[in-house]
Amino acid sequence: MPSVATLRARLESSLPERLSSTLFMRERAAPLTVSSGVAALDALTGGLPRGALTEIAGPASSGRTGVMVATLAGATHRQEMCALVDASDSFDPASAATIGVDLDRLLWVRCNDMPRRKSSALSAKLGRLEQVLKVTDLLLQAGGFGMVVLDLGDIPPECARRVPLTSWFRFRRAVELTATVLLLVEQEPCAKTCASLVVQLEREAVCAGDLAPFNGRLVMAGGESSFPQNNAMSHAALLRGIQVRAEVVRSSTPGWMQRKPVQPAGVDFKLRASW
Amino acid sequence: MFACIYISDFAVEAIVRDEPLLRARAVAVLEGKPPMVCVVALNEKARRLGMEIGMTKLQAAVFATPEENSSAILRQRSPETEESAHSALLDIAHSFTPRVEDTAADMLLLDLAGLERLHGAHAKMARKLASRVSVVGLKANVALAANPDAAMHAARGFRGVTVIPKGKEAQRLGVLPLAVLLGTFELSLGNSDADRKKAREQMLDTLERWGVRDFRTLALLPDDALASRLGEVGAHLQRLARGAGMRTLALCESPSRFEEVMELESSVATLEPLSFILNRLLEQLRARLEARALAARELHLRLQLERRVADEETETAQDLISDSHNVRQFERTLRLPVAMRDVKVFLKLMQLELAAHPPGDPVAKVSITAEPAPPRLAQRGLFMPISPETEKLEITLARISGVVGERRVGIARLLDSHRRDSFRMDRFMAAPEESKQRKHPTASDIGKPALVLRLFRPVWQLQVEVSQGRPVNLTAVVLPSVRSELRGRIVWSAGPWCSSGDWWTENANRESAANNPACPWNREEWDVALANGNDGGVALYRIYRDLASGRWFADASYD
Repeated sequence: MPSVATLRARLESSLPERLSSTLFMRERAAPLTVSSGVAALDALTGGLPRGALTEIAGPASSGRTGVMVATLAGATHRQEMCALVDASDSFDPASAATIGVDLDRLLWVRCNDMPRRKSSALSAKLGRLEQVLKVTDLLLQAGGFGMVVLDLGDIPPECARRVPLTSWFRFRRAVELTATVLLLVEQEPCAKTCASLVVQLEREAVCAGDLAPFNGRLVMAGGESSFPQNNAMSHAALLRGIQVRAEVVRSSTPGWMQRKPVQPAGVDFKLRASW
Repeated sequence: MFACIYISDFAVEAIVRDEPLLRARAVAVLEGKPPMVCVVALNEKARRLGMEIGMTKLQAAVFATPEENSSAILRQRSPETEESAHSALLDIAHSFTPRVEDTAADMLLLDLAGLERLHGAHAKMARKLASRVSVVGLKANVALAANPDAAMHAARGFRGVTVIPKGKEAQRLGVLPLAVLLGTFELSLGNSDADRKKAREQMLDTLERWGVRDFRTLALLPDDALASRLGEVGAHLQRLARGAGMRTLALCESPSRFEEVMELESSVATLEPLSFILNRLLEQLRARLEARALAARELHLRLQLERRVADEETETAQDLISDSHNVRQFERTLRLPVAMRDVKVFLKLMQLELAAHPPGDPVAKVSITAEPAPPRLAQRGLFMPISPETEKLEITLARISGVVGERRVGIARLLDSHRRDSFRMDRFMAAPEESKQRKHPTASDIGKPALVLRLFRPVWQLQVEVSQGRPVNLTAVVLPSVRSELRGRIVWSAGPWCSSGDWWTENANRESAANNPACPWNREEWDVALANGNDGGVALYRIYRDLASGRWFADASYD
C-alpha cells in the first residue's frame, strides 16, 4: 500500500501537465494599501488593504463613523467612486461634506425596514441585514468602486453575528483581485477569518469645554469620577471631540506580521468636533 | 445616378418585420370593419395558395387552417406598424444620403450623385443599400438608374438588386409589363384612390386594345400619333417607357421620431412573453439609431392595456367600469445616464422597471419611443481612477432600487437650509461632471478626522427629566428594544443651542411636527453624554426640545 508521501509525489508529478499551479503554494504579494484618513491609524496598520475586507469595530461614540467618513473623504479625494451601504439609514451627508467627502462620488444606499418585516424589532434588523447583503453582492458584482463601505454600526452584535460566514467569504472572494477596499463598520468583529484587517476602536475620553478630558468608564464604576459634577458646567461648554484608542485585533498583511513584534499595541488619536 | 428602394407587399412586410418567423409562411393582411373585412395585401406564398386581394375574411379563412404549416396566416392591418417600418426605411435612406424623396409608403428615391468615393461602384452601392434595408427587418428591391423614373420602374419590375447603366434604360425596361408603368403613373395623378384606379384601368384598357402590353411596344409607337390620341399623358407615358424622363426629387427631411409599435394579436398578461416583444422592438430601434449614428438618451414605454373582464376579484359592476375607463394606458420612462444603444441594457432596465411597477392588466399594444442623442464618444484616460461601467451600473442601480425601494439609492445633494437633515436624493452618475463651485478637500484636510453625527431617522421621542433647566435623565418613549441604550442618566450636557426656521412660510401657523418638512421648526438643542450599558461607558447624543409642542426628541449620536 503506497504511503501518503508516495501518493502526493505521484500526484504532484502528474498534475503539473494538466494544472500548472496545483499543490504549489503561491507567494501572496503584499496588497496595495490606501490611507484610512487618520494618520495615526495608518501608522499602526499600514493603511487599508485593497482587494480585502477590513473591519472597524467599536461601541457607540467610539469614533467608528468619524474614521469611516475620513476614509471616504480620502477615497473621493483620490477621485474614486465609493459606495456606502447604510444598514440603519444613519449617514449624515452634511457632516460628511464638512469633513471633505465629495458627495457626487458617493453612492448612498439607504436600507430600510421591509413592510412585511415590521412585526418585531429583531426581524426588522434582520430584514435590513438581508438588504445589506443583497446590495453588497450587487455592488461587488458591478465592480469599479474604489471603496465599498458596509455601515452596520447600529446593528446589534447578536444580529450581525447571524450573517453566515459564507457571505463574508463570498465578499472577500469578490474583491480579492480587484482594487476595491471593502470596509465593514460594526460594533463587534463578525467576519472572523474573512477579514484581512480588524481594528478595534475604544473611546478613551470625551473632551468638553475647558475641562480636563473625562472618561465614562470610571463613573459607572461608582468610585472616583472623572466626570464633572452633574451639569455644573457653564452654558458655554462645548463638545470638543473624543480621544480614541485603536488596536489591531487581526491583520493578515504579510508585512504587518513581520513588523508585529515592534509594533505598538495601539495608538491614540483625537476626533475633533467640526465646529 | 438615382436609386429606388421598393418594398413589395409593404403591409405584409411591416407585419413580418415585427414577427420574422412569418417570413416563411403565407400571410394575408385584412382590413375593414365587420362584416366588410377583406384582404388588402398578400405575400407571394399566399398568392401561390390561391388567395387574392379583395377576398372577404370568410373566404380567406378557408386558406388559414391552424393544423397545417403550409396554410396562410391572417393578420389585421396596423397603420402604426407600417408607419414604424416606413420610418425605418427613411432612416436607412438618410444614412446613405440626405437627398431622399419620400415617394410612397413603400418606395423611396435617393440621389446618389457624388457618393461613389464614399460607397464604391454602383453595383456595390446597390448591394450595400439592400443589405442595410435588411438590417431593419425589411426585404427590398433596389434599383439604380440614370433617372429617378427608370430606377422606380426597375425596382417595381425586377426582384432584388438591379443596376441599369446610363443609355441602356429602354433596353432593360422594355420587358416590363405596362402594369408596372401604370402603377407609378397612378402615383403621379395625386387624386383620390378611386379616381386614380379608374384612370389607371381606362389607360390600361385602351393600350391593351391597341396590343400594347409592355414598355418596349409603347416606346416604339410614333410620338405624334400617340400624343394626338392620348394627349400629353400618352406622351409622358412613352417617355417613361423609354426611360428618358428626368425630374427633380422632392426632398424630405429625416424622421426625428424613433418609435416602434407592435399590436398584439392576443393580449399578454405576464412579463416573460412581453420581454420577447420588448426585445424585438428594442432591436429594431437600435438598428434605426445605429443607421443614423445616434444613441438613445431616454426610452418611453407605452403599453395599451386590454379592458379588464370580470373575474373573481370584481365585486361590483362599478369596479369593472371604473377599471376599464381609468386604466387604459400604462407609461414608464427610462432616463439613461449617458446616450447608449445596448439592447441588453435596455431590456434589463425595462424588465426591472416592469417588475417594480407591473402594468396590472393584459397588454394589447406595445410602443417604445427613443429620445435620440449623439453617442458617447469620450474615452477615459489610462491613468484615471477606476469607476463602474455606466451600462452595468445602471442595471445595478435598478436592481438595488428593487431591493431597498425607489429614491433610497443615489447621491445626497445638500439643500440650502439650516433645517436638520435637509438633502435630496439625486441620480448617481459613474463619471460626475467636475463642478467649479464644489469645494474639494485639500491634502491637508485629509488626515484630520472629525467627530460626525449618526442621525436617527425618524427621530426618537424621549421622556426627559429636567432639573434647574437642564436635562438630567432620559428614556426613549417608543420601541425601546430597538434602541435600548437610549436611556439612563445624563452625566454631562451642553446647551441649549436655539434654532428655528421656516416660520415665514405659509405653513407657519400649523403645529410643528418633527418629521414634516413643510413645517417651521423651533427648538433647543443639547449635546449630552449618557451613561449607559453595564461597562460604565458613555455615549454622546444630540437631543432637542421642540418648543412648539414641548416634547423631547433624540436627533443623532456623535460617533
